[in-house]
Amino acid sequence: MAKREVPEINAGSMADIAFLLLIFFLVTTTMDKDTAYLRKIPKKVETRQEQVPVEEKNIYKIVINSRQVIQARDSIIKPEDISTLNSRIKHFYTVNRGKKTDRALNYPYYAYGTKELYSNNLQNQQNRLDALESQTVIDDKTEKMIEQTMMAIQKWREKLDMMNLYTQYSGKKEMPEIAFEAHIRLESFVDTDYSAYVAVQSEVQRAVTELRDEESEALFGVTWTTMNRYIQQNALEDTPEVRQYRKHVELIETLYPLTLIEVKPKR
Amino acid sequence: MSKFKKDSGKPAPAINTSSLPDIVFMLLFFFMVATTTKEIDPLVKVIPAQGVGVTDLTPFKQRSTVDFVYLGEPLAGDASKFEKGVAVQYDGLLHPDGINYIGRWKIAKFNEKPAEMTDPKENIITCFKADEKVPMGIIFTAREILRDLDFNSIAYSAAEMGNKNDYSIREQ
Repeated sequence: MAKREVPEINAGSMADIAFLLLIFFLVTTTMDKDTAYLRKIPKKVETRQEQVPVEEKNIYKIVINSRQVIQARDSIIKPEDISTLNSRIKHFYTVNRGKKTDRALNYPYYAYGTKELYSNNLQNQQNRLDALESQTVIDDKTEKMIEQTMMAIQKWREKLDMMNLYTQYSGKKEMPEIAFEAHIRLESFVDTDYSAYVAVQSEVQRAVTELRDEESEALFGVTWTTMNRYIQQNALEDTPEVRQYRKHVELIETLYPLTLIEVKPKR
Repeated sequence: MSKFKKDSGKPAPAINTSSLPDIVFMLLFFFMVATTTKEIDPLVKVIPAQGVGVTDLTPFKQRSTVDFVYLGEPLAGDASKFEKGVAVQYDGLLHPDGINYIGRWKIAKFNEKPAEMTDPKENIITCFKADEKVPMGIIFTAREILRDLDFNSIAYSAAEMGNKNDYSIREQ
C-alpha cells in the first residue's frame, strides 16, 4: 500500500489562538498578592474560678485611641514616631534575658531550664502515672488525673527535646524561657482606624520577627523567616529537611513567643 | 538623479512568523504563573493598610481555606444607608445586616462544601480586607461572632510596604 502524504497543518493561526488565551488570562487574573497578619481568636472558656490577675510587669500594654494616638505603657507615641515601638517591644523581651540577679523590676523575668530539671520533672510525672495506674479501683477522678499526667509527660518530653536541640546548637546548658504570662496587650477604641491598628500589629510583628531572626541566625545560621518560608512552600512534603526546620522553628518560637492579646474596645 | 530609488518592483522579503506562537505562549505561561485569579469584583472601596512582615496568603488560597470579607465605603449608592458608612461585602453581595451577617455567611460557606473536603473550622481563616478608615469596633463585633462559632483563625489584610516607614495613619 502506498503511503499517503500527510498534508501539513497550517499553523498560521496558532499565534492568534495563543493571543486569545493570553488576553483571557490578563483579564481574569491579578498581580497583587493577598498578604495579611494571621491571628487567632482565643477560645471561649467558661469557668467559675476566679482568675488570678497577671502581674503588671508581664504585660506590655499598647492603647490606640480614637484619634490614633498610641500609648505604650506610660509613654505617648505620636503617629510619626510609631517605629520606636519596635525597640520598645524588643526591650520588653530582652531586658532581663540572661540575668539572674539585678533584674529590671518592671519587666518579665526569665526562667532557666536545664536538662536535669526537665528530666526530673519528666521522671516525677512518670512515677505519678505509674502510681495512678497501679491503683486497684480506677474511678472517674483517677482517670482524669491519669489524663492530666499523660499531658504533662508529653509537655515535659517536648521541653526536653527542645533543650537538647538548644544545647546541641548553642553549647549552653541553660535555656532561657520568658515568663509564660508575658504578653503584649493591644487595646483599641471603637473608632480607632483600621490602618493605625494594623500599623501597631506590624510593629509588634516586626519586633518579634527581628528577635527571632537574630536568635535563629546565631543558632542555626538560617533566619527564622527563611525557614518558615521554606516550610510554607513545602507544606505537603515530609522530607528530613522540612522536619528538621519545623523543629528549629518550634525552638525559636519557644524562645521568643508572640503572645498578643487583643482586647475588645469598650468605648 | 535622486538618492532614493523608486521601488524596483521587488517586494520586501516576508518576515518569518513561524516562531510567533512560541513567543506568545511564553508570555502566556509567564502570566499564568505570575498571577492569581481574581476572586470577585469589589463593591466597596478598599485602600489597604500598610505593614511589614505580613504573611502571604497564596498557599491558603490554593487550599481554599481562606474567606475574604471586604469592608469599606460602597462604590455605588448611598454610604449613609450603612451603619457608620461602612458596607460589608460577602462574596458578591453587600448585605444590609452588615457585619452581623458574618456568622450566617460563614456557616453557609462551611456547610456547602462536602464534609471530606473541609478543613476543621478553626483552620479556616477569615480575612478582613478593610479600608484604612474602617473603625475597629466593627471588626471586633465580627471577632466576637466568629469566636462564638469556633472560627478561630482570622487575618488582618495589609499591603507589604518594605522598609519604608510610611504607615498611613490618619492624624486628627
